[in-house]
Amino acid sequence: MSRKALWEADLDEDLQDVDLSLAIGNYGQNGLYEDAQHRIDESTLLAVQQQMAQQAAFSAIPDVVKRFIVHFHQAVLDNNLAEITVAYESGWNRLTEKFYAKTEWPEAEVIAPLVNDDQIFLILYRELYYRHVYSRLQPDIDDRFHSYENSCELFNYLLNSEGPVRLELPEQWLWDIIDEFIYQYQSFCVWRSKVKNKTEDELVMLAEGSQVWSSYSVLNVLYSLIQKSRINDYIVATQQGKSPEEIAEIVGEYGTRPLYRMLGYFSIIGLLRVHSLLGDFTLALKVMEHVELNQKSTFTRVTACHVTTYYYVGFCYIMLKRYPDALRTFVSILNFILRMRQYHTRSYQYDQINKTADRMYALFAICNALSPSRIDENISNIVKERYGEQFTKMSRGEEGIPAFEELFLYACPKFISANPPPYEDPELLAAYVEGPPVEPAQRHLSLFLSEVLAQAPVPTLRSFLKLYTSLDAKKLANFLDADEEEMVQQMMVMKQASRSVSRVGNEKGPLDGQVISTSDLDFAIDENMVHIAESTVGRRYAGWFIRNTEHAQRVHHALRNSALPPIPTKSAPHALAQTGADSKASAPRTGGQKVAWGGVKAA
Amino acid sequence: MATIASTWASPPTRPELIETLVSGVDRYNPNNVGILEDYLYHQIRSEEYDCLANLAILKLYQFNPDLYNPDVVINILIKALTSAPFPDFNLCISLLDERPPSANTDEPDPLPSLLPILTSLYNLLQQCRFPAFWALYKSDQVESLRDNYTVECVGFEDAVREVAIRAVKAAFTSIGSERLGTYLDLAGPELDAYIAKLGWTKDSSTGVISIPANPDNQIESTVVHENIHLPQLVKVITHAAQTA
Repeated sequence: MSRKALWEADLDEDLQDVDLSLAIGNYGQNGLYEDAQHRIDESTLLAVQQQMAQQAAFSAIPDVVKRFIVHFHQAVLDNNLAEITVAYESGWNRLTEKFYAKTEWPEAEVIAPLVNDDQIFLILYRELYYRHVYSRLQPDIDDRFHSYENSCELFNYLLNSEGPVRLELPEQWLWDIIDEFIYQYQSFCVWRSKVKNKTEDELVMLAEGSQVWSSYSVLNVLYSLIQKSRINDYIVATQQGKSPEEIAEIVGEYGTRPLYRMLGYFSIIGLLRVHSLLGDFTLALKVMEHVELNQKSTFTRVTACHVTTYYYVGFCYIMLKRYPDALRTFVSILNFILRMRQYHTRSYQYDQINKTADRMYALFAICNALSPSRIDENISNIVKERYGEQFTKMSRGEEGIPAFEELFLYACPKFISANPPPYEDPELLAAYVEGPPVEPAQRHLSLFLSEVLAQAPVPTLRSFLKLYTSLDAKKLANFLDADEEEMVQQMMVMKQASRSVSRVGNEKGPLDGQVISTSDLDFAIDENMVHIAESTVGRRYAGWFIRNTEHAQRVHHALRNSALPPIPTKSAPHALAQTGADSKASAPRTGGQKVAWGGVKAA
Repeated sequence: MATIASTWASPPTRPELIETLVSGVDRYNPNNVGILEDYLYHQIRSEEYDCLANLAILKLYQFNPDLYNPDVVINILIKALTSAPFPDFNLCISLLDERPPSANTDEPDPLPSLLPILTSLYNLLQQCRFPAFWALYKSDQVESLRDNYTVECVGFEDAVREVAIRAVKAAFTSIGSERLGTYLDLAGPELDAYIAKLGWTKDSSTGVISIPANPDNQIESTVVHENIHLPQLVKVITHAAQTA
């Protein structure tokens, strides 16, 4: 060691002896050097300025926000789910309303000193930071690229740490992470597909960063979470009624942790969504193979996830021409939303859920026009209120096409195309701008409309057939002012339109199903005679009975809980005795209730 | 028991290797496209059909535009055509993203000119316009599709006939042999042989073919009565009991 040091010292001395400027000559080196010196100064200056700016930004943060962040950080450090939930669901949103309704939250670098530069917390903080930018402000290209990088860092931390991480987060947040990840991907794809109005910088960045938000990278994250958590094994094992110990054995060290299990679960729903957005409706349903669609499933604990799942499953069924399955899916979730309405009015997701519900009413109208059936009066009535006009048009065949178009475009997912425009090749890009491709939504619309058009003659035929029990084909053709052969072909279309693959009972997976008849009107052609049979439904009592029972219960409940009329003072003793007797009679359950409480409830 | 949908989603003829690809993450690996393409050509030769495996090819093309092979796409669409009235054809088209004009122009892409024809053929099948289908199929316009593609697809015409048979079987209890002949594009002894193969019988004097009874052509007027069981009322009764 000492020898080396000596040697180094010698070398230094030697160098000092040499006049550098003499040996190398003065080829303008001095100038360069000076420039470098100058630049160093500038960068130091910049760093100082930046530091000052950060300090200024830091001091500009309201104290209440600083306290919130410190508190939030502590809750995350302690894995204290209750505290995290409060901070996440109420604190963050309240402070957003108060201080950051129109601006970004402070940047992660600025608040870093508050959280001891805890990188994991800063990733989570950025997750919220960018989500706020996307939902409230206009994300610029840097936001889009950085939010992608941050998502990658987060998933990298979760998936590639040594063993499962100890972090715990509320289920709602975990859902939001996956949901937002896909939303930002979809948003990026849409933004990227619009070549016009891109600045020079953006064009360069898009040409170089083709991996950012690529479909492969998004799918990779979702599949990795599914595999790491072994969620499908978990679902199967649970369905088989395995014991908790057996399940723990099966799902391994990751799958036993709620964080990974829920992320795995939500990633399946994420895949359903991504595949739908890319137009792969079969694969979208196939990834749901093991997930049981019922109100008891795990995912129903997070309402937004529950609603999203049913929306995409229902939509995929439409594209598979399985209208009865689509209808059943929408009825189930729309009834759920109606029942839950009172609990969700305060939730920050209420608006979003309501919007999705409204789109599902529109899809319900579409399906019911294509496959008329008596299904859930409650939902049908709401559909008639909202989309009655379109529904009437759609039920008339070809003239209803514009109505189908309108509702489909309103209610369909925000389709994306898998690949970016050719940003890396200016020539191809110019050609792309010249002749832009058909937008994904329009492509899927035209495919859907081709199926609708194929069965367009059905409603007219139906209305004629309803009037007869048997009828000569030639006569029917005359009524329709059509060629007999043409009409016979339309009859075959009608027959096909009244059959559908549908899940009947306990099929495994959403793709399975059997052919069922969906129409109350049926016919068979015996050479040239059309025989018609109609199934009618006897009067229904149950729904009426239940509705009125419920109504009576509500009235009864309201009456019992409303305040008694003021007692006339004169006959006070008598009246008091009376009410005393009354309350005694009903004492067992309502005795302890206060009138005020009852009043609120009844309202 | 295998339902029509489960057979569609996973045909009994599907080899295990393909099953792993279709159901696993390996379906995204561009290196596997060859295996799936070979399987498609196997389907073409041996009158098999596996929609999900073919969709997996289109998925790989969607994500990796350089893999795109128009001949494969056209063959997939030909196979999907005869799955009518099921919407397989449109499910396949759905995955054909708009693609930027191909850079290599050594060989012109046949898909853009054939796609409208295939779509017309599909629409005719969906509308049960079988005579019109045959007329278009045999026209000069469709020559290149016939000579280059459907000729290689073993049993293509019979597969179209099966589409017609499915429609006829559901709607008719008996049908004139002339009419059926136009649907199947068969006449005389060929038609008779086809009918015999189906096990249908023809009245030699009238030429009317009777179609065996099946769930779709047996119609019945029924009155559906509501049938309420006590368990369905449990909720409302429980609620009443709790709040009484």
